[in-house]
Amino acid sequence: MPSLNDIQKVLIIGGGPTEIGHETELDSATVQIMTEFKKHGVRTLVIDNNPFSVALEEIQPTNMYVQAVTTENVRHIIEKDQPDAILPSLGGLLGIQIAQELIEDGDIGRFGVTVLGMAPATLRQINNPAALNATLKEIQEPIIEAQVVSTTDEAMGMVEAIGFPLIVKPVSPRVDTNRTICENVDDMLTALNQGFQQSRFDQCSLERSVVGYKEVEMVAVRDVADTKILICGLENIDPIGIHSGDSIVVTPPQTLNDREYQDLRDATFRIATELGIVGVLHLHFALNPANQHFYVTKIAPYFTRGVALAARTTGYPIALVVGALLLGQRLVDVKLPSGYVKQTAIMEPMVDHVGVRIPLWPFQEVPDADQHLDTVMKAVGSTIGLGRLVEEALLKSVRSSQFSPRDVLPSVSNLTDGEMIRQLIHPLANRILVLIEALRRGYSPAELSELTKIDNFYFVKLQHLLLIEQAIKDHPLDVDVLLRARYFGFGDGMIARIWQTDTAKIRQLLADARIAPTYKMIEPTAGEFPEKTSGFYSTFEYENESQSLGERTALVLGRGGNQLGPNSAAEYFTTEMLKQLKRAGYHTILMNTNPNAVAIAPEFSDKQYVDPIQLGDVLNVIHVEHPDIVIVPGNRHYLTRELSKLDINLHVLPPDQETDQPAPEMATIGVSLFVHNQHKLAVGVMDMIAPGMNKSLSQVTAFRMPAELPRSRRTNLVEQAKQAVSERQVTGMIQVLFAPKPDSDSHQLTVVGVRPSRLTEMAFLSKVTGVNWVRMLTRQHIGTLDDAELSAIKVDIHSNRVALMNAAFPFRQLHVLNRPGTTDQEVGATIAFGSSEALTLTNLSDTDELDRIINRTI
Amino acid sequence: MAKRYLILEDGSAYAGEGFGAGATTSGEVISNLNLLGYQETITDQIYHNQIIVFAQPAIGNVGINHDSYESILPTAKGMVVRDVTNISTNRLSRLSLDEFLQQHNIPGISGIDTRHLIRKLRQLDGPMKGSIVDVADAHAFDQLNATVLTNRQVDQVATPKPYPNPDTGKNVVVIDFGLKHGILRQLSERRCNVTVLPWTASAQDVLNLDPDGVLLSTGPGSPLDLGDAVLEMIRTVQAEIPLFAIGLGHELFALANGAELKMLPVEYHGSGHPIRRIVTNDIIYATQGQGYAVVAKSIDRDRLITTYVDLINGTVQGLRHRDFPAFSVQFFADGAPGPHESRDLFDEFMEAMTAREG
Repeated sequence: MPSLNDIQKVLIIGGGPTEIGHETELDSATVQIMTEFKKHGVRTLVIDNNPFSVALEEIQPTNMYVQAVTTENVRHIIEKDQPDAILPSLGGLLGIQIAQELIEDGDIGRFGVTVLGMAPATLRQINNPAALNATLKEIQEPIIEAQVVSTTDEAMGMVEAIGFPLIVKPVSPRVDTNRTICENVDDMLTALNQGFQQSRFDQCSLERSVVGYKEVEMVAVRDVADTKILICGLENIDPIGIHSGDSIVVTPPQTLNDREYQDLRDATFRIATELGIVGVLHLHFALNPANQHFYVTKIAPYFTRGVALAARTTGYPIALVVGALLLGQRLVDVKLPSGYVKQTAIMEPMVDHVGVRIPLWPFQEVPDADQHLDTVMKAVGSTIGLGRLVEEALLKSVRSSQFSPRDVLPSVSNLTDGEMIRQLIHPLANRILVLIEALRRGYSPAELSELTKIDNFYFVKLQHLLLIEQAIKDHPLDVDVLLRARYFGFGDGMIARIWQTDTAKIRQLLADARIAPTYKMIEPTAGEFPEKTSGFYSTFEYENESQSLGERTALVLGRGGNQLGPNSAAEYFTTEMLKQLKRAGYHTILMNTNPNAVAIAPEFSDKQYVDPIQLGDVLNVIHVEHPDIVIVPGNRHYLTRELSKLDINLHVLPPDQETDQPAPEMATIGVSLFVHNQHKLAVGVMDMIAPGMNKSLSQVTAFRMPAELPRSRRTNLVEQAKQAVSERQVTGMIQVLFAPKPDSDSHQLTVVGVRPSRLTEMAFLSKVTGVNWVRMLTRQHIGTLDDAELSAIKVDIHSNRVALMNAAFPFRQLHVLNRPGTTDQEVGATIAFGSSEALTLTNLSDTDELDRIINRTI
Repeated sequence: MAKRYLILEDGSAYAGEGFGAGATTSGEVISNLNLLGYQETITDQIYHNQIIVFAQPAIGNVGINHDSYESILPTAKGMVVRDVTNISTNRLSRLSLDEFLQQHNIPGISGIDTRHLIRKLRQLDGPMKGSIVDVADAHAFDQLNATVLTNRQVDQVATPKPYPNPDTGKNVVVIDFGLKHGILRQLSERRCNVTVLPWTASAQDVLNLDPDGVLLSTGPGSPLDLGDAVLEMIRTVQAEIPLFAIGLGHELFALANGAELKMLPVEYHGSGHPIRRIVTNDIIYATQGQGYAVVAKSIDRDRLITTYVDLINGTVQGLRHRDFPAFSVQFFADGAPGPHESRDLFDEFMEAMTAREG
């Protein structure tokens, strides 16, 4: 194995399209690690086929492989480009699997490639639960061992050792099955009988059930010299039995005593050392609150949402540090950007605030999915709330979780008692609201804790919030109550609703009483050192640490947590927009609550506010920063309306995806034009492909550029499109939609609509043309786009290279029938290039489906 | 809860809500940066006469537990926190932090911008007195300024009489300067038969018990206030019996062997600093709580070797005697609260005792 100093070229295995389980956090970490590699003079290659990837935007085209993330493709790149090392930990579990396959096949050895971050033996273990369990047993880490049985008699023999409740699951099932939790022998016999039938080998596995235990996660980093630091612990409010991605998570843990916490820290360090991880390690534990016993339940030596949460809430720059560690640097030697106190990388983070992450579920877009929360993750995004109080952080996270644009919480008071109890035991996506409702109806924290296995502490906190709510109700327009309410996380909108007034009145009361938030820095030393990090959150205390950035500032409001629809594309948009604003000389300020966002990383803006993107909180930031321009995302209609009433230089970006114009039923061709003053620059002619039989525009979720048309027809369509645009008052990136003329032969196309380009298509156009249209659009808005420059741009709309983009949907994970999805249901997308269509198709993952569609459309 | 104030010597006053005891209290205001472990902290005798400002914003969440006491009769002067929750998690569900503080007459104040306070305290170049009071008037400030804090802290908290903690293993004498129970727990785990002696014990008192090893405990206050007798005791004992010293014990061990101590401009209480173990060159973390540090230049290299060093502030964190099986650490090797990775020092102590036998 070559010394790490010899590493000049690294291939990063990318994360692929966004899906349930991973969002843009992998892209975010990739960008930061690339930055760190560059600092060390290392050339980075990336394989990824995510059209919304910011990392792909940052990289030279020669270093970029826009291909499906598969073992085969990675092998080809290694053959062709001969990197010194590959980095699997930015590709999630898939990255680990690919690296392992390459080792098994001998490719790693054959090409003398180093796998960064972990030894080959470790990779093998991560992919092989039995081997991993053996290792953990060797170092005496408690694990949950599964026993395989073939008969009910065998199972009965095991019962005594395992004890109830236990879990039965079929071995290698023929159908998609769940684990069954059995409370007694009858349950178990039923589950076994069913399981034996489902198993290909007539076998079932039996294991101890830790359902109801506390789920605690630990995030640590380790260097080559075996120095380890614990970044933070993450406590799941919901017990084991609900996937951690579907649970509300609190950091630092609030209901662990020091001994429990340190025991888990010890276990984390032992495992990091035993597995020889260099970089980041994210572990899950099941902790029995009754006796402090714990089990290791998941080992993830790669970037995850938990790692992103740890970085956002502690202010410790995990990805930058890990970038250096991967190249063989020691923690003591890691140099961080200015702003961080010199030795921040080697100090174990201490925080003096509380962070809460709440999941966002896709049930509004996919209503027929089973909405029960269980061991299979269903959330597609999350938002965080930071505060100095648990109540404050919790309420802020809930307010950010997009229940309401007006910052009020919906009521679930219409639930019958029976329904409510059912939902307490079998929780749905509105879990937190039901918990609050139960307290409202007089259930005690102790009763609810018993029923839900959620620690009593959290009910005490929720009850306290209800007490404050009662005080608000009892004392209309009382300033002391108002301060107290804001102090504990209530929003202006919530208070206005209770007092049956508007937010303007609330703002007036606050202003008259000189109540303003104090912003606190998100930094990892709990005030010990004068860190100058760029992240802030609000609270209502004595000292404010955030001062205006001064002249020429732009405040960009993020879109909040990831949801279905064009959200990864919006994240790409926001990040590129911030870069452009910075380039144009603006001090940039981002407000966002999505811990997995790319743009929220300190690299992309001068300052970040992690606060609810609600009217009152936005106005508070505006009050501190006095930005020259404020940019609000197009999907925030209420916010835009309210802000536009004020004396603010407001821009709506990314553009609103909804228009006043009625959308046409269907379009088959889209012509994209960049319209600026007199210019109507043709950017692309694309086939718009709807996989569904019942074709409608909302089902157009795949695109091909250039459209399968003769050159002359493409040119002709562009002319028609320009004509259509001339007739309307539109600017920016515009898409003119064409469809076959009714009652004519299908070759006759006619204009059926004109709309602002969708975010997904704009990302596609940027990737295909090599021109960053987001930046162009941003410059148009801030008035730095000049005509000459625009005329100089040459776009070949007849390129010989074929590009395809295909949306990805979360149906499989949500256990709903696979069917043509709509644009509202997109979770991500894949992109591919090729010299011919056939070749392009082979580069696209999930080709079967698209192949079928394309063949049908041609 | 009643409105109360934290007032400081510099004339500042912070309004908050009282919890725990309603008494008026004065003490040296120090900050504690640990992430968890409020019970261990408040019961640790090193905080005698001190008002502790907690960086961890939410306090009281796990109640008071039977296995988290570092002493039974805490003597800290007060708690300053952002938020306190009254929860009891013990089996009888009877003891919350609030009740515990009331029982021990320790006042607390919540609703304070502790982050601001800690940032301010970190900038100081000497100790700062403060009081928790009902009214922040001129009288309260006069009282505060007139307060003289005792320098007899060890006398106040250490045991005046010997007592045993029997087991079947090595005979260990623990000299109590304000012993934290974590040390006893570590010795118990190693089956040590412990006798705790008052800090005024003479070398003869120690040697009469024919111990396998001697441990100098943690404790509050300045090592410079304890007189020469204890240093003489250490010098005699270290030549005869394996010795392990922690915290204040470490400071005394250094003094006894000719090193000098300096007062830190600001006390440091936290567990985030990397500490290099020089012999293996690896880095560990441990809970630190110190107002004094050994002056590195003053160490007589013919007598002492530096074994641990804090990589952030450069302070000496561990010493070893060149001629005798005697060693010391500034940080709290028992890890209660805080990281456990320095607990192997107790194993080292056991080995030293075994080696002596062999």
